[in-house]
Amino acid sequence: MRSKLKYIGAVMAAAIAVVLALPPAPASAHGETAQEAFLRMGTVAFWDVKYSAEEVAQGEELTITGTAKILETYPEQLAEPKLGFIGVIAPGPTVVIKERTINGAPAPMAIEIEKGGVYQFKMVLQGRRVGHWHIHPIFGIHGAGSLIGPGQYVDVTESAGGFTNDVKLLSGKTADLENIGMGGVTFWNVIWLVIGFAWLLYWIVPKPTVTRLPVTSQIPLNTDGGAYGLITKKDHRVMNVMMGATIALVVGGMLWQAQAYPDKMPQQVLHFAPEDAVVDAKFVTADASEAAFDPATDTVTAKVTVQNTGSSPASVESFTTSTLTFPVAEKGSAERSVQISPATPIAPGETRELTMSMTDAVWAKERLMPVGESRMQLTGVLRLQDEAGHENFVTIQSFVTPSAMA
Amino acid sequence: MSATALAPESEERTQALRKLLNRRYTFIDRKWDIVFWVTAAFVVAAAADITKLLFAGDWDFWTDWKDRQWWPMVTPFAVIIIPSALQYIQWLAWRMPTGAVYTAISMTIASWIGRIFNWDMFGGFPLAFVWPVMILAAAIWLDWVLLKTKSFVLTSLVGAFGFALILWFTNYTVLAPYLQPIDWMGLHVTVADVQGIEYVRGQTPEYLRMIEHGSLRTFLGETQYVSLAFGATLAVAGYWVGQAIGRGLAIWPIGRFIKRF
Repeated sequence: MRSKLKYIGAVMAAAIAVVLALPPAPASAHGETAQEAFLRMGTVAFWDVKYSAEEVAQGEELTITGTAKILETYPEQLAEPKLGFIGVIAPGPTVVIKERTINGAPAPMAIEIEKGGVYQFKMVLQGRRVGHWHIHPIFGIHGAGSLIGPGQYVDVTESAGGFTNDVKLLSGKTADLENIGMGGVTFWNVIWLVIGFAWLLYWIVPKPTVTRLPVTSQIPLNTDGGAYGLITKKDHRVMNVMMGATIALVVGGMLWQAQAYPDKMPQQVLHFAPEDAVVDAKFVTADASEAAFDPATDTVTAKVTVQNTGSSPASVESFTTSTLTFPVAEKGSAERSVQISPATPIAPGETRELTMSMTDAVWAKERLMPVGESRMQLTGVLRLQDEAGHENFVTIQSFVTPSAMA
Repeated sequence: MSATALAPESEERTQALRKLLNRRYTFIDRKWDIVFWVTAAFVVAAAADITKLLFAGDWDFWTDWKDRQWWPMVTPFAVIIIPSALQYIQWLAWRMPTGAVYTAISMTIASWIGRIFNWDMFGGFPLAFVWPVMILAAAIWLDWVLLKTKSFVLTSLVGAFGFALILWFTNYTVLAPYLQPIDWMGLHVTVADVQGIEYVRGQTPEYLRMIEHGSLRTFLGETQYVSLAFGATLAVAGYWVGQAIGRGLAIWPIGRFIKRF
């Protein structure tokens, strides 16, 4: 019996050793499909997200541009969107953000947002850590979390001098953000560790520890046991000197920093409400009346009533939901498109019911059709264009009926 | 004759306790001291670091969170708890004013191991952005006050208050270069702000940053001194949380256990 247990133990130990020795598979995504479908479809829509490059060297620039909209269908169970932050999600600081504009204005920090708000963003990044990284834009919304936009792999390659992050201070000096202040951090940590160890070793090296207990257990707590030799006058003197040195160093440090860094200010909070995005005048309205999902063929269909209130014929260009954009069939790629029926342009003043149909495995793969969940809805943005090239982005939403339940 | 049977103030008792202090035990030698000091360091370091991260995690992680309002309020409370507990244990058991310094050394080493291996080498953040708080000078003060006053009440009032102040002064010294102004896209911000803007923290959007968002001009607008005073008061409370841990969770159960045998 014992040898059998030993055998099982050896096998388990070997298995653990093999697992530990295997190189871990790199994480290739950020759990975006883990978020509920209604959350991804009904909160923020991203469109026209473009990456300027797929490969950059360390220190080389990469620009991400795009538009994000806080949808009018923002779920009522989440807090009202008031404060947001457009940034980047990546496996750590593999890139650094050197510039960020939202609706044309510099936006270093969070912005004030509202339902229906459209935010055209531009972020200039620099490659930092060498590797193959999956990068997304994100729209963090206070109370809802980080809502992820369309991602792309970016390769950061090694550059000759490695990565430095030089910035120019207002004093005119240049500093590298990678190691600024580390001289002081290292110096003072070493100083305090030396003094700390000196303090500790003074007590624990020459004096026994455990065998003091028989004495301390017999004397009151509020005494230093000087009469019995537990703490001597010499101990007091040495500790006084070390305390004096500590105070002197603390004061010296404060004087030094005041001299070395005379210009300082507290951390800044630069929150603001961006100007409205420049968008074309409204020339169309759209309402979804019903939607269905057929899991057997991965097909989503929806009926949408579109009214052209403009003076020029208008056509549907695409449908965007979550991070996915489905262009109309004749403009879409082979693997992603939306069929619009009837496909002819909608005349000025005309109201027409359109049928949208999208057959794509991505509905299941991205877990976007919330079949079986408590909120079975299809939400997205319909992009319409008139003959002059003006565009309207209209949010539509409808409950989804899975075909098996129809 | 047992020492406990003697009158508390008698010379005979004093001599007996002196003799007891210098007694050599057959099976309890210095090896036991080494075993204690070395093995306990791991537990103490973990307890102190976890307590710090639990109460003041982000303020300890990022330079752009190390502000003059919240940081001096939250951090002293977070980092005085375990030093206080160890102070009680080591003073009670061995009459050594070492509990705070011992905890501070253990925590400092543990924090730096975490920052270097987890944050810098694995996570990729520059150490200049994620250095941890330094508590050793404040810990020396705390142990010194206990040594001088021999009173946990006075140590809590004088020691913990001074602990918070020294903590701020020692850390402000190294924070200074990060508070230099810099131009970022035409806006004036600090070096620490730019680190926060540039180094990607996907799940820590800027709006989560709990720092000073503008202060009323009460107390002449001196946010820093009001925060220091309040932080020092919180440190007094934190000291007694540590005492409760030291007395209630460490000494009392061990005493009960020993009595059973």
